[in-house]
Amino acid sequence: MNNQRLVILLLLIAYIFSPTLFTWIVNPEGAWYRPYIMWVIVIIIAYAVQARKKPS
Amino acid sequence: MTFELTHVALLCLLYLLVIFGIATLTERDWIPRKITEHPITYVMSLGIFASAWAFYGVIDLAFQFGYGALAYYLGTGALFLFAPVLLEPITELARRHQVHSLADLLVFRYHSHGIGALTTLCMLLGILPLMALQIQAIADTMHILTVSRDPAIPVVGTGLTFKDLMALTYCGILALFTVLFGSNRERHRGLITAMAFESLIKVFSLMAIGLLAVYGVFDGFGGLENWLERNPENLALLHSPIREGASHTLLLVFVATAVTMPHIFHMGVAENPILRNTRTVTWAFPLFLLFLALPIFPILWAGFELSVPLPAQYFTIGVPILAESPVLTIIAFIGGLSASTGAVVVITLALSTMVMNHWLLPFLRLRRRQDIYSQLVWLRRAVITSLFVGGYLFYWMLDNRQSLFHLALVAFIETLQFLPGIFAIVFWMRGNRRGVIAGLTAGTIVWAVGMLVPMLTGIEDIAVPFGDGSLSVGMSHWSEITLISLGLNTLIFVGVSMLTRQTEEEAYSAELCAADELSHPVRQALDVHSAGDFKSRLAKPLGKVTASREVDLALRQLGLSISERRPYALRRLRDQLEANLSGLIGIHVAGEIMDNHLPYKLAEARDTVDINLIENRLSQYRSHLTGMAAELNNLRLYHRKTLQELPMAVCSLGRDKEILMWNRAMAVLTGITSDDVIGSHLDDLAQPWCELLGNFSQGEDAHLYRHEINLGGRPHWISLHKAAIEGPSSSRRVPQPGYAKVEDDQVILLEDVTETQLLEQELIHSERLASVGRLAAGVAHEIGNPITGIACLCQNLRYDTDNPEVLDTADQILSQTDRVTRIVQSLVSYSHSGQNKKSAFEAVILRECAAEAISLLSLQKDKKYVYYDNEIAVNAIIAGDQQKMIQVFINLLSNARDASEVEGRVILESSEDDDNITITVTDDGEGIAEEHIDQILEPFFTTKDPGEGTGLGLALVYSIVDDHGGTLDIVSPVDRDRNRGAQILIKLPRHLNSLLTGTPVVSEASYEGGTEQ
Repeated sequence: MNNQRLVILLLLIAYIFSPTLFTWIVNPEGAWYRPYIMWVIVIIIAYAVQARKKPS
Repeated sequence: MTFELTHVALLCLLYLLVIFGIATLTERDWIPRKITEHPITYVMSLGIFASAWAFYGVIDLAFQFGYGALAYYLGTGALFLFAPVLLEPITELARRHQVHSLADLLVFRYHSHGIGALTTLCMLLGILPLMALQIQAIADTMHILTVSRDPAIPVVGTGLTFKDLMALTYCGILALFTVLFGSNRERHRGLITAMAFESLIKVFSLMAIGLLAVYGVFDGFGGLENWLERNPENLALLHSPIREGASHTLLLVFVATAVTMPHIFHMGVAENPILRNTRTVTWAFPLFLLFLALPIFPILWAGFELSVPLPAQYFTIGVPILAESPVLTIIAFIGGLSASTGAVVVITLALSTMVMNHWLLPFLRLRRRQDIYSQLVWLRRAVITSLFVGGYLFYWMLDNRQSLFHLALVAFIETLQFLPGIFAIVFWMRGNRRGVIAGLTAGTIVWAVGMLVPMLTGIEDIAVPFGDGSLSVGMSHWSEITLISLGLNTLIFVGVSMLTRQTEEEAYSAELCAADELSHPVRQALDVHSAGDFKSRLAKPLGKVTASREVDLALRQLGLSISERRPYALRRLRDQLEANLSGLIGIHVAGEIMDNHLPYKLAEARDTVDINLIENRLSQYRSHLTGMAAELNNLRLYHRKTLQELPMAVCSLGRDKEILMWNRAMAVLTGITSDDVIGSHLDDLAQPWCELLGNFSQGEDAHLYRHEINLGGRPHWISLHKAAIEGPSSSRRVPQPGYAKVEDDQVILLEDVTETQLLEQELIHSERLASVGRLAAGVAHEIGNPITGIACLCQNLRYDTDNPEVLDTADQILSQTDRVTRIVQSLVSYSHSGQNKKSAFEAVILRECAAEAISLLSLQKDKKYVYYDNEIAVNAIIAGDQQKMIQVFINLLSNARDASEVEGRVILESSEDDDNITITVTDDGEGIAEEHIDQILEPFFTTKDPGEGTGLGLALVYSIVDDHGGTLDIVSPVDRDRNRGAQILIKLPRHLNSLLTGTPVVSEASYEGGTEQ
């Protein structure tokens, strides 16, 4: 349960490092829809994670 | 391309009617529940998140910030992606305590009504710009569609432009809709379905415009790529603003919206059972946002390509107009209309709840005798209407000077100020109300001075006594103002919280709210003792009818009955009532009513941990526990099961004598199931357990051996043992003054020793019989010799004299010594009984034995004349000693004869089953007194006159029967009506060989029928 604080910390770190990540995602070299592709991947991962969980 | 105003107005009306219709159909259950309760419907209803700002304003955002615009979606999307961690604790809290708004949640956690009022104020200030945004978007798009009529011309005599009038009409219709659908107390299923529908329209129309942009304007994706290559400045526009860092702040602003924005909180937390749908929400909502975000850039570029003569914020509607597509123009307009409609309706509902609960109800005294429910509904309607008026006035004051982007920013940055307070609800228990009030006030002041006031008045700098004397404010500095206000807010919140102390109540609420579900809810005592008392207590503040209705509702929800007396159940009832009343009249007033009329007695049981509640919660959260917590829970379940299945009765008591555990053996022993007793007070137990356990738990002794109690008319013996349990320590456990002796919880073990007790009694009895036998043998031996001597001397005397007097004396002496010899003989035979070897047993025909005994008795001419009816069956054959059995009959029959009247009747009968033969000897005498029945088998017990009997007859019978492996029972009286007669029942094992051969080992029954004397 206290792990949640770690998750918060993780989010904070993610927030701090997000500009770097963001810069990479929106790299002008890539296609303009690259962020959307990343977004779709995240959704697929989230769906897979939820689908794998046992129903409560 | 323009449209007739009447057509547009009709379209608006038609759309609102459709939404209205969907809500009505859902409320009346005409739309299948499979659809209205589907997780996707819930997820879509969360789509009110995307207001007109997401429909129109975001294009402007994309124009200004490029990819930064995606922050709007990504922030909220991320929050929902991590919903199980970030949102679920809050939604769970809201569900458990019936929290209906952000203000309620803050009041609940920080236990301060001031926070409720302040939150409502800040929320109103922050949200009015957002409402104005929606109204402005509708007014503007209607203006764009019907521009040929030039609605900007003031309408004669009103001072309002025609556009303003359209906006006013729109507000009026929406207010009506909201009043009709949002003001009653039930879960607004109709509203949810309607909002899901409007989200669907919204996403559909935005996608349609996006496809128009790609295929209609650019001839497909290939064309778009070519266009981008030809116009590289548009691609550069995507990337360059990000590096300036403002988009980072933008992300921060938008991340918080899902919890701080009142309409999203209302839809996501208060209305929606989001908890059930967390799994779907985590991926489905980001997907929904993706669909909303996809068309943004194509629409922006199409706008550039077509050179739409409108600001970027209205490209969504401008592109289809310039592409000469009336259908898509209408679709775009409807999409925008639905976006703002949904947002405005839910915002007003959420704000009306806050205003009612935190501004009005605490100060209004509702007239109790009348129907409180209809008063509340009307009050809410009034509040909703005034909110619409307020939103419209704000729109009118701004007079179209601000872009949608600016209006949205102002709103978002103010709601962002709630983030530290909300964060601390779940994740930081030390945060306190002073911190929240100070931080929120500071943040809001910075925001108001930096953004709200400049927006209304148009000032750009303010004079300050430091620096260069003036400070630039206004929309252009939004990024700095955001960081300063939020930073200052957080700093002050943390600082003040660290420096000041929480009140006890606040700490209690903080524990309840903490994400750490394994915290220890403290058990508090109530001073009401039954569910019925709740009604009478609540009748004062609520009125009789309302109180009764609310208590009945809460009882139904908990599955309890009105006769409930268990403290545990009553505490649940109080919590449920408080939660229900919070939903009705707000957490502030409900809390006040509860504290005044159904207070907890804090002082007494402060540190008593509510084990039942912990158990209850753990079983609810079982599936949520992972890792170590899950292991510990399994361990807990194992230990619990061990105790439950322990083959010995165990119960445990709290220090306030509340029953916390009651295992299966205990339920079997007492006949009271654990469901009925867990959580009740010891005093409410049924007798004799209440007295037994009560006295024992209060007593000094840790053990009580063989306490006799009466259960079901039979005596039982119970041994009790107890030990103290030091309850789970509370983090707030501080030694209370006046607690010289800290009492602990107790575990009590009950041992049913009835069987052992009975066996021991039997053992003692036979031990006594054995010692009597040994005594008798000794006495017989000691007396026998001198008596023989006396008899010999007396014989001699008879030959030595002729004196008749002496001879007579000698005869007397001889007859007395005979008598002594007989007594001694019977003593000897009694003491020798029990020494028979069963191997020496032979077949004995009981009928013959009885006949022999009868003939012997009939020789005693000096005794009473009675009839003997020997009806023992011929085949009643047992394995035994014949002489002993004759002795048995002689003893029984002579007793029966002595008890009978002259010419009475003594009946001998027999019956048999597979293994045993039962013979009965029944007389018609005066019977055996009840108090003598227990003693009658003891040696030397006799009711006859002294000298008449030795008291060994029946004892000898018993001992012989016992030697033969039989049993003896006595029934008296036989004839209950006349209260006369006694019956001796002897059950003996039958002789198995005779049964096998089938031929009785009988010569011939010597005596037929009865022999009489």
